Amino acid sequence: MKFIMNTGRTVRQGKHIESKLGKAYGDETGTCYMHPMDMLALGVEANEKVKAFTEVGEVVLMAATDEGLPEGMIFIPYGRHCNAILSPTTHSTGMPDYKDTVVEIVPTDERRKSAAELMEEMGGVPYAEN
Amino acid sequence: MQKIEDMVCTFCGCLCDDVTLTVENNMIIAADNCCTVGNAKFMGKNRLKTPIRKKDGAWEKVSYEEAIDYTVETLLNADRPLMFGWSGTHGEAQCIGIHMNELIGGVIDSTTSVCHGPSILAIQEVGHPGCTLGQVKNRADLIIYWGSNPVEGHPRHMSRYTVYADGYFLENAFKERKVIVVDVRETESAKIADEFVRVKPGGDYAVLSALRAIVRGKGDVVPESVAGVSREQLFRVADLCTSCKFGALFFGLGLTMVKGKYKNVSNAIELVDELNRHTKFTLTPMRGHWNVYGSNEVFTWMTGYPYAVDFCRGVAFYNPGETSAIDILARKECDACLVVASDPGAHFPRACVEHLKDIPTIVIDPFQSLTTPVADLQIPVGVTGIDAEGAAYRMDGIPLKVNKVLHSDYPGDAEILSRIYERMMEVKGQ
Ligand code: SF4
Repeated sequence: MKFIMNTGRTVRQGKHIESKLGKAYGDETGTCYMHPMDMLALGVEANEKVKAFTEVGEVVLMAATDEGLPEGMIFIPYGRHCNAILSPTTHSTGMPDYKDTVVEIVPTDERRKSAAELMEEMGGVPYAEN
Repeated sequence: MQKIEDMVCTFCGCLCDDVTLTVENNMIIAADNCCTVGNAKFMGKNRLKTPIRKKDGAWEKVSYEEAIDYTVETLLNADRPLMFGWSGTHGEAQCIGIHMNELIGGVIDSTTSVCHGPSILAIQEVGHPGCTLGQVKNRADLIIYWGSNPVEGHPRHMSRYTVYADGYFLENAFKERKVIVVDVRETESAKIADEFVRVKPGGDYAVLSALRAIVRGKGDVVPESVAGVSREQLFRVADLCTSCKFGALFFGLGLTMVKGKYKNVSNAIELVDELNRHTKFTLTPMRGHWNVYGSNEVFTWMTGYPYAVDFCRGVAFYNPGETSAIDILARKECDACLVVASDPGAHFPRACVEHLKDIPTIVIDPFQSLTTPVADLQIPVGVTGIDAEGAAYRMDGIPLKVNKVLHSDYPGDAEILSRIYERMMEVKGQ
């Protein structure tokens, strides 16, 4: 199913901003909030996984319910997960479509990666002592 | 144990300056008055202890001297260096950054380009009817949050300046103030609004235009529903706006990060302009990083432009969309990058982060961030407001002095940047 991806700040994301390689941050930024009717249509429940695709990539996220969202929109807290599938196109404004990107969502059994793993996937090397 | 009052929280653009810190044995053991996020910032642990450099795919500790030498060499050898970040540091460090960028003929951009850059483009197009947060707190009887969720993004904004704050010129501020929230989703902020206006995604421009028409007395052109908002509700909102004594519109990234970008903000400013024919009305962007506003001030005094400033021609040149960080990285144009006090590794699209990995990237930051894994060198510094100090600008343009409470051996951002800059001057024989 196609959705509009909206991304933004949350208190939980902000709280863990100085330990972004930690589990709590990755758990929050790897969450895909959805309207319950959309979850029903997709056949996923809270704490089950979904895979989001765009033309630039794919990422596995944990589904969570948010009745405040309109149907057809997902919300992902700012972080590495949403940016893994965001296009760098800015329409000559300097600003990508952080709150307005069309994504395809399907249920999946694949493992959700942590923020550190997503960095490693791009060839990054986390510093082990922190 | 010592209690230190009126400290400034250096997390979000609210720049709350009423925090009480309890310090014992040169450690912060409690932070009072701040929100959960501010509290986590003051109590933050896991600082990087020494500079680290990646060699053959593995990190090793290096001295500050070695780190400075590497930075100077990398930036001076680059043809098209990019210096990005600057919103999470004090004004003094931003000043040195500009000087350094001029010396190396690079591009300097702050996180503005990925938050309220479009708002600045709109302000340059149609002006800024703004005011300080003190005016809002003491006078405003109507508050609008448009595309902004302060409960999550600026947790004390409502208690310090709007919904729950006392107002000098209001008898019973809490009762007298009306709150309107406009958003595509029903956020926690929307739940406490007197009027929640739910706009269909991408519909903000149309809703702003409809409100402008109604306020102009041309309401007959407005159809039954505009981007999911009923005509009836649009008239109700327009009436609340024209009948208040002092209205304050705060807007967030819900206007700048969607299609239309700066045109949405221009339309919001034009609405506020229109409302000023009926009453007093102001508009303020909800700036995110604690000193992102300061970066725009400092960049503007020194170069004439607020962000995305390119010195490759020897003079300042500004063209967001071309000279902004995301575009330069996506075009794989820069061949070295200095990241100061921000985390593009977490917040930039994948293609940009991949390019950071492919070029020499140097990070100046107290903590390991998601940029660290793709960087080649990181230099730890003090945290402004904890063990470093300097000037910062609140989201409404009020400058505040940020003091430190702890002593540490970490250099501040301004100190480390001065050392790099002085060494560059030496090498260049200037
Ligand atoms: S609202 Fe912002 S500045 Fe104020 S305490 Fe919270 S995070 Fe800090």
